[in-house]
Amino acid sequence: MSEPQRILMVAPYPPHRDGIAAYAVQEASRLLREGHQLEVLSPGPSAAHHHLDLKGTRGALALAKRVRRYDRLVVQFHPDLFYEVPSSAGGHAATSAALGLAFRLARSTEVRVHEIDYTLGRAPAPVGPAVVAMLRSIDRLVVHTEVERRAFLDAFRIDPHRVEVADHGGSFVRRTNLDRAGARRRLGIAEDVFSFLSIGFIQPHKGFDRAVEAFAALTAAGLGSPRARLDVVGSVRVEEPDYVAHLDRLRELAAATPGVTIHSGYVSDELFDIWLVAADLVVLPYRRIWSSSVLERAALYDRPVVATRVGGLADQAPAGAVLVEDDEGLVAAMRAAVEPEAARSAGGAAAGPWPSGPLDRERVQAEIRARGAAARGAVPRREDGPPSARALASAVEVSAPVRRIAPLVLPPPVSARPGASALKRVVHRLTAWQLDPVVAQVNALHRAIVAMTDTLAAESTPQRGGSAADGHAETQEAT
Amino acid sequence: MARPTRSGRLGFVPPRFGPAVVGGAEAVQAEIARTLADRGWEVEILTTCARDHFTWENVFPPGVSRDGDLTVRRFPAVVDTPRAERAALEARLLAGERLTLGEQQRWMNDDMRVPELFHHLLLHAEEYRALIFTPYLFWTTFACGQIAPERTVLWACVHDEPQAALELFRPLFTGAAGAWFQSEPEHELAHDLGLATGHHRVVGCGMHVPDGYDPEGWRRRHGIEGRLLYYAGRREGGKGWERLLDGFARATAAADLPFTLVTTGTGTVAPPPGLPGRVIDLGIVSDDERNDVMAAADAYLQPSRHEAFSRTIMEAWLAGTPVIANAASDVVRWHCERSGAGLLYDDDAELEQCLRFVADEPAAAAALAKPGREYVLDNYAWPEFVDRIEECLEAWV
Repeated sequence: MSEPQRILMVAPYPPHRDGIAAYAVQEASRLLREGHQLEVLSPGPSAAHHHLDLKGTRGALALAKRVRRYDRLVVQFHPDLFYEVPSSAGGHAATSAALGLAFRLARSTEVRVHEIDYTLGRAPAPVGPAVVAMLRSIDRLVVHTEVERRAFLDAFRIDPHRVEVADHGGSFVRRTNLDRAGARRRLGIAEDVFSFLSIGFIQPHKGFDRAVEAFAALTAAGLGSPRARLDVVGSVRVEEPDYVAHLDRLRELAAATPGVTIHSGYVSDELFDIWLVAADLVVLPYRRIWSSSVLERAALYDRPVVATRVGGLADQAPAGAVLVEDDEGLVAAMRAAVEPEAARSAGGAAAGPWPSGPLDRERVQAEIRARGAAARGAVPRREDGPPSARALASAVEVSAPVRRIAPLVLPPPVSARPGASALKRVVHRLTAWQLDPVVAQVNALHRAIVAMTDTLAAESTPQRGGSAADGHAETQEAT
Repeated sequence: MARPTRSGRLGFVPPRFGPAVVGGAEAVQAEIARTLADRGWEVEILTTCARDHFTWENVFPPGVSRDGDLTVRRFPAVVDTPRAERAALEARLLAGERLTLGEQQRWMNDDMRVPELFHHLLLHAEEYRALIFTPYLFWTTFACGQIAPERTVLWACVHDEPQAALELFRPLFTGAAGAWFQSEPEHELAHDLGLATGHHRVVGCGMHVPDGYDPEGWRRRHGIEGRLLYYAGRREGGKGWERLLDGFARATAAADLPFTLVTTGTGTVAPPPGLPGRVIDLGIVSDDERNDVMAAADAYLQPSRHEAFSRTIMEAWLAGTPVIANAASDVVRWHCERSGAGLLYDDDAELEQCLRFVADEPAAAAALAKPGREYVLDNYAWPEFVDRIEECLEAWV
């Protein structure tokens, strides 16, 4: 162990509910156990030893006044902690300069970066140079994935030796001893129900609405409610209109989707972990993220996770976690979790052998269509048994024109023109609260039309035996 | 029950502890702690250096000390904000507004906090078999009770008040290893609020039976003659004190009542005009003194609508004194109806009639109190109460 030091940690802190606060208190516990003399400074009253409004130049200068009393300054960095929103270019640069002063005055500064806007590194003066200078005044920068590190180095051109990757969950400890059965009893979840869980702060970029849409698709395929359930658990991080509106929309979506429940409210660390333990699959359909504490906490309990491939999640995700690219991938991954056999059947291997004998392209094509339809949940439930592959393939042809329309995706905020990316990111951030729900709604309508068309078409198709040969004969009869 | 193992250290975490600390929850916790220590448990008190729950001035020295068989660890209470935001949010809450989660968090944190206690438990919670917190409303319980929830037991003191419905508190209850309730109404309320989902039990509360009473000696010592009514505890709006004074003043004026109202405890008395010499404040008194006043009184008044148990009405019944209580308290109404030893009022007019009855029919009023003593002895004897506490500890943690 290193020599005991006087350490000042700057962070949001319990009992305030915040992912960074939960992270900070676990690191505080570790530092104290190592024998250090730790004091915590939080932006508002909390269990921290001190509190100080850290926003803007004034906050950073107030911090600068204090840091000389300590051997080490540890900062859990999130821009919202220090920068006014919105802030002018001058104000932003001044805050960066004042923060840089605080970091330089400290005997040793260690910053754990939980979020930062990479585009700031190449932003025009005075914003960009001030941010870079501030970051260069830090002795040790810690990020949580190698992807973040590369992006960070590329964006801010920092001495690589100063930027380290630390295990996001390195200080994490379990908050519950309950097993799955106990956790389910506590939460009132039946033992035999497949439980999907999306948990964390409820805000548009977390994409929990995508999980609800995916669950609706499962239900349409007979794999969702009532044999499965989706619980969305968390609270709105800040009571801003767009976040509250997002929650309202989630509630509306849930109300229209059997088996989905929104548990909006305060979640203790212990309750958070109990939800994880009770879950069969943790669904993290983030639209954007740096790294995820939920991923780490799920790993603490060996809970399977499906997440979108955004930010540094590919690096952070433990072995076995499923990363998906889009909403269809999400549906497929959830489907595979809830019914592995069906998924394999839909995907191919366990669906039985492909048509044998002399190559019959039509039969193979029908099989492909049938398997594709099953994979996206288009197999209708019928009293008289499933339609043949040929009949199903024929039926799903009807929806083909709609399925050919690609899901709506907002253009990425990038540009080859200098400065344009930064501008686009700003525009994206400013408009996301309005546009994301519209995009989600359009795509939901799209999926609903496809599902409805498939179902109507399949139901109007006469049912015959399950073999491709029968299907072929049926087709001949039909024609 | 199986013989208790009494192994492991118990940590009691009241916001205040020590001489001259007035508060039902704090007093009971101290007494339970002492009894458990007597029975062989290793018991620590983890608390603040404060005595007053308004100023939270640190009057006791921080650090470790001994109080009989108890180890007492004190940590400085911190109040470093004007608490203006809390007051504003609380006003909105009491007016029936819904606070957002963020506002609830600011309401909770803009008050007395004890960071050093938080960090002590962050490092040492595992050294305790159980950590017993009371009451639910205080920062010490809210913030520290969630550090090691598997060891947390709540002496909840849930009242039917807007704060109890704040979603902020739900995980504290649902995550705790267990919760004790003192009455069926408190238990039902906890269920209604979704706070009784884990281990919990109605353990009641324990009462020590005084060896005897000396009302005449007390009168002589204080030079107080004539018929009197008594109120003991915190003299504050939340306990219905101000409303009681108004009602007493109206009743006295209307009915020419013969009573003097004697009060003991903390807080400002401030009787309204029209009651010259009719209200006597004795401040903080010993348990024996309190018992003697109970026995000297024609009736004990319980104006609070927020009671989790109400020890004072039990003390009155043990002393053979009838109780006149605010019917708005489910708990007190429950006790009065079950025991048959208390009168209830819903408004000033009914309070006046209660007082008229006691004034006009002293013998009947005294007879009214008789089943009260039996009620306390049958249900709330101290040793059996502590047995129930031990059973829970052995089972839950």
